[in-house]
Amino acid sequence: MRGHVTRRAVTWFMVGRLMSDDELVRAALGGDPGAFTRLVDRHYDRCARYAYRMLGTREDAEDAVQETFLRAHRALARYEARDTFGAWVTRILVNQCRTLGARRARLARRFLRDDEAMERAEAPRWRAEEGTIPDDAVQRALDGLEPLLREAFILKHVEDMSYDQMEQATGAGRSALKMRVKRACDALRAALEVREHA
Amino acid sequence: MPDETTGRGWGDDGCPAPLAEALRRPVDLGPAARARLADALAAEGTPGAPPHVRARRWLVRPARWALPPLATIAAAAGLVVCGALGGAWASRARTGASAPPTPPAVAAAAAEGDPRVVRFVLVAPGAAQVALVGDFNGWDAARTPMRPGGAPGMWTVELPVSAGRHVYAFVVDGTRWVADPAAPLAPEDGFGSRNSVLVVGAET
Repeated sequence: MRGHVTRRAVTWFMVGRLMSDDELVRAALGGDPGAFTRLVDRHYDRCARYAYRMLGTREDAEDAVQETFLRAHRALARYEARDTFGAWVTRILVNQCRTLGARRARLARRFLRDDEAMERAEAPRWRAEEGTIPDDAVQRALDGLEPLLREAFILKHVEDMSYDQMEQATGAGRSALKMRVKRACDALRAALEVREHA
Repeated sequence: MPDETTGRGWGDDGCPAPLAEALRRPVDLGPAARARLADALAAEGTPGAPPHVRARRWLVRPARWALPPLATIAAAAGLVVCGALGGAWASRARTGASAPPTPPAVAAAAAEGDPRVVRFVLVAPGAAQVALVGDFNGWDAARTPMRPGGAPGMWTVELPVSAGRHVYAFVVDGTRWVADPAAPLAPEDGFGSRNSVLVVGAET
């Protein structure tokens, strides 16, 4: 009986060394219970930052981020490695923030419209030479932007994405995104800086 | 006189440095947020499996296992080893492979169509027990335990397998379902875990 091995190959599945995101995805699909946790660890903080800047409260940000990772987990088998895992999660997150943002706006609009307007009128201005801007001033300025403008601005200037990456994340075209970033910058400048002339 | 503060750093779509700095500060949602997500994920089970079939894995429920030290873990290196070779198998990307995997192959049988003896090998240092499961043994982890030895962390078993296409996997320590990294992956079975494919040819 020809039962001899002519070549022996052993592949070592190195769990301990640093695995790429795609390797962790494969491991997670293969049943490794810790693999998805490690993916979350890598991406949680930047998702939290985006969601907070987008939605304005820590509670809403937590909801958006949690829902994002749960959806990614459920749909993991549909993730295709020609994406990057990070870009894929960002796309889910952008959509989650849109949904949550719209829902929150519908609820809030009826009660807060006048209060918001008053608050914005009284908001302390920041002068460019003053150095660090207080966090509440930043967030208030962002909250004042229309959602699509805020989204484009955060992706560009907080998450430091290229316009290519932004196209992937939002589904919008490059020129639309550039216009949104520019309009966001104009609006933020107006909201944050002191004008010498009345 | 125009205010020199306005316009500085903004450009067309740019952002003044202090503002960008403020925006890029990490945002802490609190440790409880992270823990709540971990709990929610734990309740989900294996990723990708449809909810109504996840229950099937009660037999081999993946336990939350602490990672053993790097020196002993290696995890699964599987290998189907035998005599005469089969065709070239497309292999999926390996993690840290030191040599390309051997195509699965089977020993010649006394007569065509007879079951062939197939040797299965898994390298899993740190495992206390390893079993082979597949369509040829009813996916029963109790039926085909593998024996340790031959090399550190190596587990082996031989058994007759009939000609044709088979799907199999290894079960490590009764809880961890592991596909054979050296063999082609079977299409997803909807249960979340992946299996491997072995084809036993009628001819060599």
